[in-house]
Amino acid sequence: MNDFSKRRTHLAHLSDEELKEYFFKLLEEITEPILSMAKKYTSPSLERSILLRMGFSSLEAQAIVTHALREDLLGHGAGHLVLKYAELNNLPLRDAGLKLASDEGWAELKTFWSRQVKANQEGV
Amino acid sequence: MLIPEEKINIQELLKDLEHYHPRRKGWTWREKIENQKLSFFKYEDTSKNLKHSLSLPASRQMFNLDPQPNPVITVEIASGRLEDDIRRMRMAAWHGADHMMVIRTLGQSHFDGLIEGTPEGVGGIPITRKQIRATRKALDLIEDEVGRPINLHSYVSGIAGPEIAVLFSEEGINGAHQDPQYNILYRNINPLRSFVDAAEAKLIMSHSQMLQIDGAHNANATAKHGFMVMPELLVQHGINCMYSLRVGMDSRYIALSTVPPSAPPFPALSLDLPYAVAVRELFSDFRFRAQMNTKYIESCAREATVNHTLNTFISAICGADIQSTITPDEGRNVPWHYNSIHAVNTAKQTLIACDGIRNYLEFKEEGPFREKVRELKERAVLFLEEIKNIGGYFKALEAGFFVDSGYYPERVGDGIKRPVNGGNGANSIILRENDYLAPVCYHFGDNHLPENIEKPCDLIDGCSMCYPGKIQYIDELDEVDNVETRLSQYQKTEKEHLFKPEVQWRNDGIVLLSLFLPLPEKKVVPAARLMAQKLGLINVEVIHKQVLHPAEGSFVEVRGEVDFYLNEDEIEVEEKIPLLSDDEIRQEVESRGGIKVIAATLGEDEHSVGLKEVIDVKHGGIEKWGFEVIYLGTSVPPQKVIDSAMETGSRVILASTTITHGNIHQINLKKLTSYAIEKGVRDQIVIIGGGTQLSDEIAQECGLDTAFGRGTKGIDVASFIIRSLKVKNN
Repeated sequence: MNDFSKRRTHLAHLSDEELKEYFFKLLEEITEPILSMAKKYTSPSLERSILLRMGFSSLEAQAIVTHALREDLLGHGAGHLVLKYAELNNLPLRDAGLKLASDEGWAELKTFWSRQVKANQEGV
Repeated sequence: MLIPEEKINIQELLKDLEHYHPRRKGWTWREKIENQKLSFFKYEDTSKNLKHSLSLPASRQMFNLDPQPNPVITVEIASGRLEDDIRRMRMAAWHGADHMMVIRTLGQSHFDGLIEGTPEGVGGIPITRKQIRATRKALDLIEDEVGRPINLHSYVSGIAGPEIAVLFSEEGINGAHQDPQYNILYRNINPLRSFVDAAEAKLIMSHSQMLQIDGAHNANATAKHGFMVMPELLVQHGINCMYSLRVGMDSRYIALSTVPPSAPPFPALSLDLPYAVAVRELFSDFRFRAQMNTKYIESCAREATVNHTLNTFISAICGADIQSTITPDEGRNVPWHYNSIHAVNTAKQTLIACDGIRNYLEFKEEGPFREKVRELKERAVLFLEEIKNIGGYFKALEAGFFVDSGYYPERVGDGIKRPVNGGNGANSIILRENDYLAPVCYHFGDNHLPENIEKPCDLIDGCSMCYPGKIQYIDELDEVDNVETRLSQYQKTEKEHLFKPEVQWRNDGIVLLSLFLPLPEKKVVPAARLMAQKLGLINVEVIHKQVLHPAEGSFVEVRGEVDFYLNEDEIEVEEKIPLLSDDEIRQEVESRGGIKVIAATLGEDEHSVGLKEVIDVKHGGIEKWGFEVIYLGTSVPPQKVIDSAMETGSRVILASTTITHGNIHQINLKKLTSYAIEKGVRDQIVIIGGGTQLSDEIAQECGLDTAFGRGTKGIDVASFIIRSLKVKNN
């Protein structure tokens, strides 16, 4: 329904500058919940972008993230998984990533994080 | 280094790409020159001139000036092949484009990951690391050739946004489209995924000072009528701007993509101007990329060009940081080479024409114009209030708030509805665990880094954003579909110097035939097809038809392909002797104490317009340089012309004639030269023939020094006279 003249009454008294401020205030309010969601979530593409920055190729990043999704470990961060695997096996970072890309080592990571969860549950 | 006389060597460019890194990152604006003085003029809004460029056609009469407007000018590049894209970029740069917007292949936005190699695309090109490197490397050479930095641009959209942003940042892409709303509305990518990915992508882009361009203008093209969605456009711009700012982008690197939403026969400026002012006032802290209208583009290139001129006029009077261009053929085919260049020139021509206009005009502060501006802003505010009241952005999306054809607050109910759990990539976002960690720079959001580090990538001895050496380069994944294979197909023709005309790809053979056919409308298209086929063209298609009168006939444009090659070695070079300068001619005339010229039309010829054009000072004729012209009139007998030359001591004869039945013109010209020989003065006098259809062959046959045909200017004749007299003196 075109009720513009009625709906605008509360805006009529605002100066151009005030209207602009109000416009941006509304935008801030609308984007706020989206922004907090983005802080808390990640995505396969986001995680691959981290692996790229760590020096892996697009194909390697694709493989690591696919395996991590299968193992339900991506929430820890793909880069984190590579770091942890390197640490557990005393491997250079790149070698660790390549092993994970070729589908090695996932059981070990899975075990590591299930122990972590258990330890957390037991309050250790 | 590129040599202007030589083609760019694509094979050479492809060498050593694995070691190539961009020599700079980030967006570059033109270097403004305040009150630039060029020739007689002072330009108010121009930038540094180019080292090499091609000026507008009319500049031939204007000292070959090629002033460069202040806004960056965009050219769309969409051949679908890397090797042809690069050639077009070089041509566009010479005409004044410094923003190469490389369109992506159809479907890349739904590709969940990066594409590698150099496969051929459809309607654009697959954007890959190799493609960007080769292009950026070519642009390094091209920008050195023209003498101005060139921005390379593509799209951080689709389902692989963060990866593409990393790729772009690593490879020195200077500008990119990024707008999660575009993904959701026009690519049906899941809303949550789009916003999660966008935050990361934007932060990465900001690291390398990439200029971000939003996607709001697409609502114009998608909605039933562009001008109806004006309030929504302000809302979409606002959401992307605010989201970008809060993620950490600097407003100087956030550009709004704005398009004048209407076109004639709507009263276009009365709709477009208030909108242009409203959007610029609301977003005064941001940058503006003005795009040309695509919504109302049909197959008529003339109509498109007028609309695009009007669009650019709005940019000139309201201000724009970037003037983007749409090719005038976009309504009928993928952009062709020369249409990309036409579009760039439409922008350059209009902006230069409007130089300084903002110092002369201002909008009325009261009255209907101002009211319209205010109304648009208020409608946008009401739109935002409703988004808030319904429970936020995602609820508004689900309710179909966007791209509704009603003029908000009116709603028609045909908006695009996107459920929060629907679309490509639905349910693909993952909650970060309590120990979530990302050991790289420019990562957005929760990250549980150890406390003892200075920057995140200390954990991994540096990330690729800080150390480009870490980047992994993949050359090709497809053995057949790649640039090398395509180039090898050209090897034979290139080696033998064979060529065809082209509009898009090397040797595509495409030509355009323009026809007026005196037929009723229903017969025009089949007749045009037949005509083109009889001319030997294959794959013929009528791409434009305009009825000039229902009974008298129509104008049609037919695209067809040439089925044969020519050999470059067999083509004769057209020798063009350079013209002398004004000063050289004037000095020579003066040093000889003036040069007398006898001018006449010969025999029974009353046509003297052409002759007067090359004589009269007001038409730029030879009198301008001080030649003394003795005009004998029309229909003068050849003998009288020679006698007069001898009596007056004239060293030059301009004899004009029209082509006649029975070759009377040739007989008269021959009489002229043979009489001069008879009198023993042929060697001392420069005898020049003139006429619309005279050729070098006729001139030679008749014993003239030369002949000038249609389109001759005084400068051509004056230069020839001076050169010939110098030779005769020797």
